[in-house]
Amino acid sequence: MTFTDPLSIITLVPLLSGLLLLILPNVLPQHISQRMQSSVRNVAIGLSTAVFALTTLIFLGTIGQIDWLSIGMGSFVLETEDPVWLIESIGVTWHLGADALSFPMIWLTTLLIPISMLVQWDVERGHRFHALLLIMEGALVGVFVSLDLFVFYVFWELTLVPMFFLIMIWGGEDRKYASMKFFIYTFTASVLMLVGILVMYFNTADSIFSGSLTGHHFNLVEMTEQARVSGLIASEGLRHLVWLLLLIGFATKMPSVPVHTWLPDAHVQAPTAGSMLLAGVMLKMGAYGFLRVAVAIFPESTLTFVPLLVFLGMASLVYGAVVCLGQTNLKRMVAYSSVSHMGLIFLGIATMQPIGFAGALFMMFAHGIISPLLFAVAGSFKHHYHTLEIGSMRGIAHHSPFLAGHMMLGWMGSLGLPLLAGFVAEVAIMIAFWMTFGWWVLLPAITLIFTALYYLTSMQKMIFESDDPHQGILPDTLHGEDPRDVTWHENVGMFILGALTILFGIMPFIFWDMMSVWSTEFIETYLIHAMNALEAMP
Amino acid sequence: MILSVDESQALAPELVMVAGIILAIIVPNLGDARVRLPLTSMRVPILWGGRRFELTSDPRAPGVLSAIALAIACLLSGLAIESADGMSISGVIQVTGFSRFMTMVFTAALAITAIASIYRIPSTRLLPEDLIDPDDSVESSLMDNRRQVDLYILLLMVALGMSLMALSSDLFFLIVCLELASMASYVLVGFHKETEVGGEAGAKYFIVGSIASATGIYGMSLLYIWSGSLDFDTLAESWSSMGELEPLAGIGVGLMLVAFGFKVSAAPFHLAAPDAYSGTNAPIAGMLATASKAMGFVAMMRVLIGFAGPNDGVIAWGFALAILAVITMTWGNLAALSSENPKRMLAYSSVAHAGYMLAALAALGSGLADSDTQDMLQMAIVFHLAVLVLFKLGAFLVLTLIEIDGGGNKISDLHGLARRDPIIATSMFVFMLSLAGIPPLSGFLSKFLMINGLVTTTSGTGALDADGVIPWLQSVDPFFLLAIAIVLNSALSLFYYLRIGLVMFFEKPGSESPLSPALGLRVLVVVSMIFTVLFGMGPASQWLLALIETAIASF
Repeated sequence: MTFTDPLSIITLVPLLSGLLLLILPNVLPQHISQRMQSSVRNVAIGLSTAVFALTTLIFLGTIGQIDWLSIGMGSFVLETEDPVWLIESIGVTWHLGADALSFPMIWLTTLLIPISMLVQWDVERGHRFHALLLIMEGALVGVFVSLDLFVFYVFWELTLVPMFFLIMIWGGEDRKYASMKFFIYTFTASVLMLVGILVMYFNTADSIFSGSLTGHHFNLVEMTEQARVSGLIASEGLRHLVWLLLLIGFATKMPSVPVHTWLPDAHVQAPTAGSMLLAGVMLKMGAYGFLRVAVAIFPESTLTFVPLLVFLGMASLVYGAVVCLGQTNLKRMVAYSSVSHMGLIFLGIATMQPIGFAGALFMMFAHGIISPLLFAVAGSFKHHYHTLEIGSMRGIAHHSPFLAGHMMLGWMGSLGLPLLAGFVAEVAIMIAFWMTFGWWVLLPAITLIFTALYYLTSMQKMIFESDDPHQGILPDTLHGEDPRDVTWHENVGMFILGALTILFGIMPFIFWDMMSVWSTEFIETYLIHAMNALEAMP
Repeated sequence: MILSVDESQALAPELVMVAGIILAIIVPNLGDARVRLPLTSMRVPILWGGRRFELTSDPRAPGVLSAIALAIACLLSGLAIESADGMSISGVIQVTGFSRFMTMVFTAALAITAIASIYRIPSTRLLPEDLIDPDDSVESSLMDNRRQVDLYILLLMVALGMSLMALSSDLFFLIVCLELASMASYVLVGFHKETEVGGEAGAKYFIVGSIASATGIYGMSLLYIWSGSLDFDTLAESWSSMGELEPLAGIGVGLMLVAFGFKVSAAPFHLAAPDAYSGTNAPIAGMLATASKAMGFVAMMRVLIGFAGPNDGVIAWGFALAILAVITMTWGNLAALSSENPKRMLAYSSVAHAGYMLAALAALGSGLADSDTQDMLQMAIVFHLAVLVLFKLGAFLVLTLIEIDGGGNKISDLHGLARRDPIIATSMFVFMLSLAGIPPLSGFLSKFLMINGLVTTTSGTGALDADGVIPWLQSVDPFFLLAIAIVLNSALSLFYYLRIGLVMFFEKPGSESPLSPALGLRVLVVVSMIFTVLFGMGPASQWLLALIETAIASF
């Protein structure tokens, strides 16, 4: 049966049930739909937890009996075998698969959805909010599982829609501007990416996935294989152009300097759950797509443009960190730290070392649990203190011990404290950077120290410092009320994320091993050949 | 002329339409009139005149009647696509799968227009007290069903003209049928007398249209002088025996392009279209944007591909059409960006879509396409014409719903539609996305097939060893640029299509009142939306494409 394999289920079930939950209250009679509205969030969180359980079972090998360490390059677990046609005339198939690059992201997505639902459990008009989050889950998982570029692109664009609505309807005061900017930026970039994809499409050779009318296909596996064996696009200039078009699409999503400006606005205005998903998973789509499409299919172009990658990575890292220093808005600060961390991912890829790739992969995952924690904290801070200004208060540890605790853990994870998840990735990337670029490693390393400095000082001010140990300074926005600590559901969500930060700091090998096997094989299969070819050139 | 049994079977859809016209004339006049037989006192009911029956004086009767006739014609022609055997009738008609397919598209569009008009034209039963009030009498007379009959007769005549045009195998007959449909549509545009702009729009459309037609007919006469016959086969023979382009033939075809260019609203012959669309009511505007445009394209294909196709050295019109295509799509999109009237915006979007299809047609005229690619390009055009009936007409149906309560002439009338009616707003949004060519909707598939055709046509020409993008672009055939033009224009068009979605979902509605409960119209909108999605992917799209492939094979 088609569409009943585990990967299709974790994509389609949230997507379709989310759509259904969104539509049903509009078409059913009034009294039924009103009763339904209150139970939507229960259904949504139940479904997404079940999907998470299913993904975990896939990871543990209960479903599919997968040995993750033996998954090499170009082979995928749970891959669809025969072509399942979606649009036969132009060669679009429903072709899914997962590997060490995509699976941690899939697991992360299915994990973050129930947590973000939990964090915003009591949101207004929740019956729409939680349904949109379910649609979001389907679209995000779809991006990571689809091995057909067309379906990949459709899911890629589909993620924009629920996020746009989340920001537009549940966002802050400036939500209209932020959501439009978010949409226009990422949409324009992905249209350019689409042009690149089309050029690739028109250069594909005949295969069993080819369209009945056009004779070309969108199958990523076949494309990658064709690129490895004979080169997908013959003309070198066109190859570079396509690579650059893809880079624009992916770098805007990541986002990298200079196309990052949508991110702080979107983050500041987005509701907490939106921010968590945006930082946790949506940014990683850029890095994922870059590795999966641009690097794998055009290794020569990637090697040619390594200086550009290093420049973009360094620029994002340094610029993100420097701007972070000047921020007084908590969410904006976390947003810029995301830009900074995404720069590290580019640097990891630019090293062209197995350990650098693995570090980039692990950074994608680690940042995917730490930054949602930070955004959950920022959201709950906004919720209980009605402000995001860091300077407006002192010593919240006394009033909100749990909030302060989670905040500390998140910041520690973000600045790369050993034994927390972020550290593993940073160290791996630094080692790889040193292996490739020598002492230039001091540049990113010093930047990281600066970030740590600022985190520590603002943490000290905000959480601990206070003239009166029992009072601190409370922001004006509270109007003299007593501040509250986090609610139980926020607390549960943050606890899970915090625990995972520690777990993956102590036991990174859960994902690290498969990532490093994948990276080694990736470089052996695609990049070594390209490196030799480049060196052979006069 | 009496048709044989075979011939009348082959022309069944047209006969149904003729029967529909006759019934539409007779039925509303049926009444209880009796006549006294001479020299007796027996009074025999003759049904003609007198006091009309409940059923025949129902204002909706003519609309229902014509919708049923058109639906039957649509069904019959759909069933005949695969069995049509190219039977020739009277030397001017040839019943092919292609013409049957187009008849299906035309009649489907017109059936939808007819159903929408039932709800759109104010149709209330005349009550005696309405007539007493002198101020109201004008309005009331406009609501009488005897006037409504005219609209539906005209619609049926448009359908008949279009359908016969698709069947014609003779240029003269083609022009005559084209004019039958055009004349009827000019009246339809001006039919909406309740608004002050209706008459102006009709007059404008008529004047520009008749000048365009006159030009086309002049072109036809030049072709007649050149070839001595207007039969397509003879014309094709003369054309292919030309060593180089002869002036008479070239000028003749060029002038005919003007007439067809007006019908498909290609720039610069489109200038009357936005006024006509915004002046008339939404169903008629939808008919102009779909059926009428399809008619223009079929006529164009009949002439350009039917006999004036590119052959050994004579590449007459490919390049001209390519330039026309680029101007048309760019002009349409730029003008649509600044339109504040949704009907005007859709009119310009329709101009832009004409540009995309002209680009595909231009590739056919480039002389570079092999026969597979030619089939693909034709399929892309016909597929686009067919699915336009779903999403373009669908968008006009939504506007019809808004027009029923007055309004529909400003973007602000769409504000907050999602709050007033989420289902209709979602459908409208899907139509907009499909018009913009967002995957995986049917508007994407048709546009993609056109781009694919253009790229395949020129794929052999790019230099593989070019070491930069600019040298590569210089080495590739200029027709490749058409593909780029379509992509860029699609990106441009997104802004105004998405704007509609934005105002529907996020602006505050002007009035909170729900839309009128026109059930039939709502069903049509939702069905159009479902098929817009279905024909974009999966087995349904494959089925439609296979059907079109069969149709194209008999072009």
